[in-house]
Amino acid sequence: MRGRRLAWLLVPGLVLLLAGFLIPSVIMVFAPPDTAAAEVFARLAQMLTDPYDLAIIGRTLGLGLIVTIACVVLGFPTAYLLARSSSRWSGVLLAIAIFPLLLSSVVRTFGWLVVLGSQGALAQALVALGVVSEAPQLLYTPLAIVLGLLQLFLPLAIVACYSALAQVDASLDDAARGLGAGRARTFWTIVVPLSWPGVVVAATLVFAGSVTAYTTPYLLGGSRQRMLSTQLYTYSSTTIDWAAASSIAMVMTVLVFAVSAISSLIGRKARVE
Amino acid sequence: MSASTTQTGTPAAQFRAVTQKFGDFTAVDAIDLDIPDGKLTTLLGPSGCGKTTSLRMLAGYLTPTSGTITIRGRDSTRIPPEKRNLGMVFQSYALFPHMSVADNVAYGLKLRKVESAERTRRVTEALEMVGLGHLAGSRPKQLSGGQQQRVAVARAIAIRPDLLLLDEPLSNLDARLRLQMRSEIRRIQSETGLSVVLVTHDQDEALEMSDQMVLMKDGRIQQQGAPHEVFAAPANHFVAEFLGYENFIPDGHGAELTVRPEHLVVTTEAPQTDTTGALSLAATVLDVAYRGVDVLITVEAATPGGETVRLLSDTRAAGAPDLRAGDRVSVQAPEAHLVRLPLKS
Amino acid sequence: MRSRRPVVASLAVLGYVVMIVPLVFIVITAFTSGSTLRFPPEGWSLRWFSEALAYKPFMTSLVSSLQLAVLSAVFALLLGVPVALAIHRGRLPGRSLLEGLFLSPLIVPELVVGLALYQQFMIGLDLDNLSTLLIGHTVLMFPYAVRVTGASLALMDPAVEDAARGLGASPLRTFFTVTLPLLRPGLFSAGLLSFITSFNNVPLSLLLQSRDFRTLPVTMLDYVQQNYTPIVASTSVLILAGTVVIAIIAERTVGFAKIFGGINA
Repeated sequence: MRGRRLAWLLVPGLVLLLAGFLIPSVIMVFAPPDTAAAEVFARLAQMLTDPYDLAIIGRTLGLGLIVTIACVVLGFPTAYLLARSSSRWSGVLLAIAIFPLLLSSVVRTFGWLVVLGSQGALAQALVALGVVSEAPQLLYTPLAIVLGLLQLFLPLAIVACYSALAQVDASLDDAARGLGAGRARTFWTIVVPLSWPGVVVAATLVFAGSVTAYTTPYLLGGSRQRMLSTQLYTYSSTTIDWAAASSIAMVMTVLVFAVSAISSLIGRKARVE
Repeated sequence: MSASTTQTGTPAAQFRAVTQKFGDFTAVDAIDLDIPDGKLTTLLGPSGCGKTTSLRMLAGYLTPTSGTITIRGRDSTRIPPEKRNLGMVFQSYALFPHMSVADNVAYGLKLRKVESAERTRRVTEALEMVGLGHLAGSRPKQLSGGQQQRVAVARAIAIRPDLLLLDEPLSNLDARLRLQMRSEIRRIQSETGLSVVLVTHDQDEALEMSDQMVLMKDGRIQQQGAPHEVFAAPANHFVAEFLGYENFIPDGHGAELTVRPEHLVVTTEAPQTDTTGALSLAATVLDVAYRGVDVLITVEAATPGGETVRLLSDTRAAGAPDLRAGDRVSVQAPEAHLVRLPLKS
Repeated sequence: MRSRRPVVASLAVLGYVVMIVPLVFIVITAFTSGSTLRFPPEGWSLRWFSEALAYKPFMTSLVSSLQLAVLSAVFALLLGVPVALAIHRGRLPGRSLLEGLFLSPLIVPELVVGLALYQQFMIGLDLDNLSTLLIGHTVLMFPYAVRVTGASLALMDPAVEDAARGLGASPLRTFFTVTLPLLRPGLFSAGLLSFITSFNNVPLSLLLQSRDFRTLPVTMLDYVQQNYTPIVASTSVLILAGTVVIAIIAERTVGFAKIFGGINA
């Protein structure tokens, strides 16, 4: 009785969600300003066949995948050391890993302009060391985007893996060692399988973030390395092509939903096992 | 079994055909129950028997699916908890962690607009009643489990409730403290003259503390009455088993006999043939467990109906026969300690 | 530190290098006396800090960002706390479905939300950009409010609220004297998280900007694209310093890792 009456408390939130999010999102797909739904779907169909557009989708997916793998490869070991270390420094190191999450992507990405720019530290160092004769072009390359996104999402991967690892009883490591497993074997047969759901969460967050991030591809990729996000902005603010903008929005949303669905399937399977 | 004969005057609260359903599950099934005034009533039973649900309906946290609950002669079935004036002590104590002990106790008094000086007096009185006058300024987190429990009791009695309700109040305390709090709660009950309802799954607690005990199972009342009445004469198999009757012997006539292990005597004599109401069966010893003060002897005996049953005897170690597994013996119990039960359905 | 796990340790070190080195270079560059992002700097000075503080577009947009972040965090809490209460205290059917619905703005790409609001509100309904930004940011912060205060509610012993009712407090009074005070750390966490997230947001703020009202990150982004001076580095250092202060406040109250990493350390 009294529990049901609390349902009224949902109303303001529901209004916000419907009016400020769900309805505009749906209308955007079917009826952007001055554009018929048919035009949107025609543009979407074209996007999925046109080599130029496909290259952008391919680059977005490819770089997203590389960043995801890199984040897991670097993030999981870091989280493992943090979760298993009893040193008083591990708290500080964890805080240092989380801290970048509080900074704007603009600030974090700007650092790479300083490092990778033609007058930047890395280029100057390579010249000074005699590796190359003149400053190489490091900005506006896929490598720059990967480094930028890696820096942006590594904290997220570490946090997700750490949360999972912290729930795995450390005495299981000891038990495995006691039974004769070496460090590497313990890691692969005990630690990794038990914290697998955290890896799945980390990979999902990083991939979804990478294929939709704007700041990093914009600053580090420029017009040479176009990605879905920068294209979306160009279509909606420079060329004002609503059909194209809505199409990209749909592609991005489907990508993110697909990866979330896959990860929740894997997560459910992991839980059943 | 009829309700306790000691009951006089108007009951403090009454349940009439009260049912509580959660979806398809019937937690409490059409119970009728009188809570006597100025007495301590325990609701006893295994988990899921409906005792806590009954208490929460009495307190107003649950509205019965059907039936009526009357408190002090007033139909209270649909009255919200804040308008009932009952004092409830929760299993988790549920102290307000952001308030001092004194503020916890004063909370209900403030809501009753008791003026400041009187409020201070009653807070002190309630805290002294539970022996915690010196901890008024502490925070709940600084107290031990036993002290938190006393604060919860003080908070509940400070409002001078029509009934004091205690939900498994002793289950989170260690064994020694639990024994101490049993008599403490009894003392508070007799000093205040409050009508108390206490929910527990511990039969020793119920036997020791209650004026009236109510045994529940599967949402139904199995038996109610004064502890000594219920203990001496369990109404059915469930009640007998719950109260520690471990030996059940089909009598061959559609009923069964039960006897407590401490009343079952094992002897090396041959079974008597002319028993006239007493029990005497031939048996074989299965196991003898020495426990210091007493000895537990497990035997297998032949019933009058020709079945074999496993029986347990709890005998004082001093003077117990020297037995080992395989010995042929007889088990005996005088008629006074035998209870005849309708056969378990 | 000598490690017996050489591979694991080197990967972790590499991870920290990638996360931290760019920030270190920003700090170094901010103190240059030259006017380019050249490394190593030609000399040292504080001139770019005074330039940053005197640069009007940054200071104006900083105020805008702060206003937007505070307002949207407050709105998100005002709308999110009732929802969390209904989900965790009301015995409602389809609870997990409801929760999923209210967290849904988290999974849709922010650029997509921004595009939808830009098209429908600013172009379609001709709504001003400040209102649209406020709606957009509130929509994005709202799931944090629901989730974080919901987590506090889930951890709270519901018997405490029952006890207040039993002592004579009405549901409303119970909320204000018991639930809300106990919810304070959760509200603080959700508010701080929302504030930081709103302040740093780029995709939404970018699409919903106008000449009169744009946020600091968007203004900086614009500036970086056109000029190559260390003023962005010094501004970043000032933001960094402010963020450190917030991190310390967080650590002193509820716990830094708990608020921003969701980790109960």
